[in-house]
Amino acid sequence: MLEAAEVTKSYGEVRALNGFSLTVDAGEIVGLVGHNGAGKSTFVEIVSGLIRPDAGTVTIGGRDPARARSDVGVCPQHISLYRPVTVREHLRLFGGLAGLRRAALRQEIDRLVTALRLGEFCDRPVGVLSGGQQRRAQAAVALIHRPVLLLMDEPTAGADPETRQALLEVIRDRAGEGAAVVYTTHYLPELTELDATLAVARAGRVIARGTSVELLDKLPGEVRVTFADEKEVCVSTDDPTGTLVDLLARADRPVTAVDVRKPSLDDLYRSLAVDDD
Amino acid sequence: MTDALLRTGVLIKHNIVLRLRDPGQLISYMVVPMVLMLVFKPLYVKALDGSTLEAVTGPLVMFSVFALAIVGNSILLEREWRTWDRLRVTRATRTELLLGKTVPVFVALVLQQLVLLLYGCLIIGLPVPGSLLYIALAIMVWGFTLLAIGSALATVVRSRGDLHLATDLGSIIVSSLGGAVVPVSLMPSWAVPVAHFSPGYWGLTMIQSAVRGDVGETLRCAWVCLAIGAVFGVFAVHRLSRGWGRSRLL
Ligand SMILES: Nc1ncnc2c1ncn2[C@@H]1O[C@H](COP(=O)(O)OP(=O)(O)OP(=O)(O)O)[C@@H](O)[C@H]1O
Ligand SMILES: [Mg+2]
Repeated sequence: MLEAAEVTKSYGEVRALNGFSLTVDAGEIVGLVGHNGAGKSTFVEIVSGLIRPDAGTVTIGGRDPARARSDVGVCPQHISLYRPVTVREHLRLFGGLAGLRRAALRQEIDRLVTALRLGEFCDRPVGVLSGGQQRRAQAAVALIHRPVLLLMDEPTAGADPETRQALLEVIRDRAGEGAAVVYTTHYLPELTELDATLAVARAGRVIARGTSVELLDKLPGEVRVTFADEKEVCVSTDDPTGTLVDLLARADRPVTAVDVRKPSLDDLYRSLAVDDD
Repeated sequence: MTDALLRTGVLIKHNIVLRLRDPGQLISYMVVPMVLMLVFKPLYVKALDGSTLEAVTGPLVMFSVFALAIVGNSILLEREWRTWDRLRVTRATRTELLLGKTVPVFVALVLQQLVLLLYGCLIIGLPVPGSLLYIALAIMVWGFTLLAIGSALATVVRSRGDLHLATDLGSIIVSSLGGAVVPVSLMPSWAVPVAHFSPGYWGLTMIQSAVRGDVGETLRCAWVCLAIGAVFGVFAVHRLSRGWGRSRLL
């Protein structure tokens, strides 16, 4: 659905993207993670057709981003809504621009209002809404025309757990219906909930790509054994179970506690994405 | 084609809603010149052999230039709210976006001038113009010129403060140099040649000629106004279609 190869974009001295490559299939959710300034939003801006890359290619269903705009739904990182306009009017505007009319438009709006729980503030101007309510409105606008490629740039930043849950559910549903999703976040447990594959970005390029199981497999886990005299042995290992068996077999004192820690997404993130400088 | 029309319609409606929710500027730019016309009428009538033409068209042109702020604001807000980029990601083409944005503002500009002319005829005693066609032409052409200048301005200013500084100072300079405060015939001699460099001069002369029924002069000024509008318009369209992304400005 989305193919980006060796995309480069510089702003003066700053290399926002430096050979950024990413492929996303229909029905796939890709969790795009990486440190602040890794280039995630710049990538989203290029795929939405808002800015042109200096080099490299991006195609959406085989087409140039500028020609595929009707297929793309973008939820920008920063709130971009008309302050004096109500949420419902936003949905009518963007639904209308996507070609939805009358009954079809109403139906789509009703669905989103229910799914994202917009009901209580749907007819209030965006300017008076709380941050999380604005987030929900912002996401709804991206979803109104049932795009086949969804670009969600930190859609849950500042959202409460319920909002987060509602949004993740909608995104899972859309992927289930065949939409390709690029989902950026700094909150890694969301990616497990979305059953997303991972793309870890660092300094303008994707440095690791795969399912979380595949990527975590390459990381060492940790085995900790506590003895009766309160001494502890802690080993970092690729094979936690084997190491534990081995440690217990060789123990010369009574063991009071064992702890096996598998690598978490946080460990993965720290090992890959964190910028040294 | 019909899709394009429907989308343009959706955008125009949306922008009318935005205009209607922020009507203060337009209303004050209509009410204040009405008051000025009343106050200055005796002065102008005395200085200009009983003619009310300057008393009506002077404040009209001056406050139509002030209305650049309305044009500018309508575009600047799209930058502030980051909504312009959001629109650029939709199916709507560049032309549709620009039409949707500018048509309601254009209508507001034309409406302002119409109301002020009507007020001039009914309250100030401006003779009813012979040819409504040429009046309509003059108002539309001047509206277009203002629209183009205002849009261009909004694409380059760095902040709302800048925009208002530009439109406030610009309006006063453009309209006073153009003869909207003191008629060009009464200006000091050094200022007369300078007047021709002010768009306000061409707008004012065009509207005054149209009121007097001087077709030749109306058309001559209309061409100049259209040319000025075209230059600013091309620049504004170019700048708007690129969008701002994360500009350092604002
Ligand atoms: N228009 C611009 N002008 C100048 N620099 C820019 C511009 N856009 C992006 N950058 C720079 O490019 C780099 C990548 O920015 P980007 O917003 O893509 O990061 P990100 O991965 O989305 O970060 P975050 O997690 O903080 O949202 C940053 O150093 C940023 O300052
Ligand atoms: Mg970002």
